[in-house]
Amino acid sequence: MITGQSIFIGFFGVAAVWFGIVVFRTFSMVRSAIALLFSQTALGAMFLTMQAEFLGVLQIMMMATEMSIMAFFMVMFMMDPGGMGKMEMTHQKRLSLIVGLVSFVGAVAIAVFIDWGPVATTVADTAQQTKALGLELLGRSMLVFEMAGVTILTAMIAATSVAIQPLPLSAIKHKKDRV
Amino acid sequence: MTTLLVLLLLAVGVYCVAVLEAWITSGRFRLAAPAYSAMALLGRESNIPRKPDLLFFEVGPVVLLVAALLAAAVIPLSPDLIITDLATGALFLNAALAYVLVALIMAGWGPNGAYAMIGGWRFLGQLVAYAMLIVMPITAVAMRAESLATTDIVVSQAGLWNIVYQPLGFILFFVAAMGLAFLPPFDLPTAKGELAGGVEAEYSGVRLAVFRLGRMVLVITLAAATVTFYLGGWQGPWLAPWLWSAVKILLVTAVMLLIGRYVPRIREAHLLAWCWKLGIPLALLNIFMVGILLVVIP
Repeated sequence: MITGQSIFIGFFGVAAVWFGIVVFRTFSMVRSAIALLFSQTALGAMFLTMQAEFLGVLQIMMMATEMSIMAFFMVMFMMDPGGMGKMEMTHQKRLSLIVGLVSFVGAVAIAVFIDWGPVATTVADTAQQTKALGLELLGRSMLVFEMAGVTILTAMIAATSVAIQPLPLSAIKHKKDRV
Repeated sequence: MTTLLVLLLLAVGVYCVAVLEAWITSGRFRLAAPAYSAMALLGRESNIPRKPDLLFFEVGPVVLLVAALLAAAVIPLSPDLIITDLATGALFLNAALAYVLVALIMAGWGPNGAYAMIGGWRFLGQLVAYAMLIVMPITAVAMRAESLATTDIVVSQAGLWNIVYQPLGFILFFVAAMGLAFLPPFDLPTAKGELAGGVEAEYSGVRLAVFRLGRMVLVITLAAATVTFYLGGWQGPWLAPWLWSAVKILLVTAVMLLIGRYVPRIREAHLLAWCWKLGIPLALLNIFMVGILLVVIP
């Protein structure tokens, strides 16, 4: 049955995929990052359409700052961040295409063939949802989320330390003298 | 109907802020000045710089305005005078305000100019400084109200306003809100005299008018958020609730602008250092203290 809700879910779903494609269709790193942001925002809008208000708003909030910081990192690391030189910045195209297609088919297969159980007809009110989410995050899922958080933090510190050019010893000594 | 009424009040508020800002910075009280400068901006040519990222250049100021308006949608001016009373209102306010950063990065990157770009990226650094000091005091406010809905937060202050209940949170939120609205002394992205206007530098005419309007709406929205979270929202004797909200919001705005008049611009590195080394521990202490207070005085 096609309802207003399913039309909106479809619309935001298509928007998310479309902005995902735009990420790779542009030469500008900042445009690429902002396209990814709008792709994620569309996902947040899908949550909102499915009446998961807290998750939707959280997704929309987190992605704005995360993707902006990512844009900054891409400008720092890439040689042609504005895309004005039309420099090719993709590599291993065939491999990534295959991996992308296989994951897409896998995800669709999971969505279609898995037994999701009975469909919920009513949605708990938002405060109740938020409470349930909080209990879940601080209960059995705590370890998973803490692991993910620490992993991301480690990756960020590692990436930054790799990016910093090591100073020669004499420069460090000189700095110490100045301080 | 409510939406229209709130938007009308917002427009009046923005006009008042413009008059106030001119009064505080130039010392001259002129009621017609904002109307004249708006007419001047709309009449002038709106230049497009050479080789811009035109999409970002055009969209940046609009995103700023839309983000500020969306944030204003969850602010209650009276029990009924609210555009949408979301159950996650306090979080939604943050989500909308996060797009101020996106707008400034777009507006900074778009014109293909050095000053604008530095201004845009500076605001990203500023966000890293102020973001936690917006979210963590709100957490303590939501703890007391046991709800994220902005109307519940105002009702929770019926006995005692949050500015008295959690003064530390108020100071942190107030400073962070000034940082978010890039008001002096935190006007790093637009730094006049240093970045020649920064993000605003390459904008002119109608585009600049939209940018300035967005910024004014942002200032008044943040003042309104301060009133909602800490100054008891619409509550007060004698006057009508919406009038109380209006008076408080204008007072908070005036204080924000006055502070900017007398405090010199802070350096980005200092801002980051102060916020992270002092602000975040204090915000954690605030949450801790409110937690204890809630147990002791229910």
